Amino acid sequence: MRWIWIDKFVEFKSGQSAVAVKNVTLAEEHLHDHFPGFPVMPECLMIEAMAQTAGILVGEAKKFQEKVVLAKIKKCVFFNYVKPGDTLKIEAKIESIAPEAAGTTGKITRQDKLIAEIDLMFSHIDKNLGGKKFPEENFVFTDTFKSLMQGITN
Amino acid sequence: MLEVKDMVMTRDEIFEKVQAVLVDALGVDEEEVTPKSTLMADLGAESIDFLDIVFRLEKAFGIKIPREELFPAESLMNNPDLISNGKLTAVGLAELRTRMPHTDITEFQKDPSINKLGSLFTVNAIVNYIETKLK
Amino acid sequence: MRFILIDKIVLLEAGKRIKAVKCVSLAEEYLADHFPVFPVLPGVLLLQGLVESASWLVRETENFAHSMILLEEARNIKYKSFLSPGSQIEYTVDAKTIEEDISSFTGIGISEGQEIVQGSFGLRHFNLADENPAMAAVDDRVIENMKKRWQLLRQ
Repeated sequence: MRWIWIDKFVEFKSGQSAVAVKNVTLAEEHLHDHFPGFPVMPECLMIEAMAQTAGILVGEAKKFQEKVVLAKIKKCVFFNYVKPGDTLKIEAKIESIAPEAAGTTGKITRQDKLIAEIDLMFSHIDKNLGGKKFPEENFVFTDTFKSLMQGITN
Repeated sequence: MLEVKDMVMTRDEIFEKVQAVLVDALGVDEEEVTPKSTLMADLGAESIDFLDIVFRLEKAFGIKIPREELFPAESLMNNPDLISNGKLTAVGLAELRTRMPHTDITEFQKDPSINKLGSLFTVNAIVNYIETKLK
Repeated sequence: MRFILIDKIVLLEAGKRIKAVKCVSLAEEYLADHFPVFPVLPGVLLLQGLVESASWLVRETENFAHSMILLEEARNIKYKSFLSPGSQIEYTVDAKTIEEDISSFTGIGISEGQEIVQGSFGLRHFNLADENPAMAAVDDRVIENMKKRWQLLRQ
């Protein structure tokens, strides 16, 4: 199971907002456990899809110099469940950004039907967890993530 | 259009808005947020919450709040010149007074242990700070 | 890879509280991506651990009346520390209310005395047959499968 919950960016406005899509398919093993007999995308993984969309948006705003990790789910609400065969549109906006942290708002839709609203807070860990040492290289923004950015016009 | 910062707000109005921000950011009940409540000990706020609170206050009041201006703890705690034996030195206390003019440090001064720095971050301190910023 | 984010139930007070533990191992594939050189359990999977614990409390309390138990909302889920391979986390979930089709909880995850995750959330419970009676057989199948999994977790 790869830990990548978005498939591509369809819109990217540096420092402001981004839109990504995710296809949901029976090829994803975890669906067969959630639930056996009726597969639906776990809500927590929808939160992760938003975290990756918003996290890359925040990371790119600082030229991927910061290690951006999810620090707090401020609020999330789910209105409908998602099944294999669905395509999700994940829209994220930067609400606030500071040297140590950033706040984002966002929503997930399926063909204009509202699936979820998710507001998150990210921490730039090198600036925050005082005393804790992290590996030098930016392990958060791997090549896999950066490759999602290719072909996006700003 | 009249912006929030152009409106004259009474102290009570400021308190109500600050209270609403803390209820949302910390997931506490309104009743728990009194003027004397400390953010950390009483309301359970932690490092990430301080940042969330700053962002929300900026939005609620339409002002810019550098985090270290409202919550200067970290730079005070990490500066060895201002601390001796786990307590703020006289220089440290002077620095604290300059950085937090919106807070009453009389009680804290009696035993200026850095572990107790958190007790200075009260709801009142935030209301005082906002009041000053809005003038 | 299986999508089950708790390993064992250690305490259950029907209608009130549940405690479950999860071991974290490098055998969990997603750790290779999260993150390379710094493997830690993803925050959303910590929340999933709380959600699964709460879901089992609901299933047991309502005697497996519903097939679908989903996260409806979460608030102020704070991530306080990282959880690495080789560690074990204990989730404690307390029910605020458990009604027929919704429930609300506060939860916390602690590992070696350190708080890892904490927050409040609500679930919704329903059967597919509520909207479409033809789905009753699917509900039964899901419930049967979940009952088997429950046996596994309570060993």
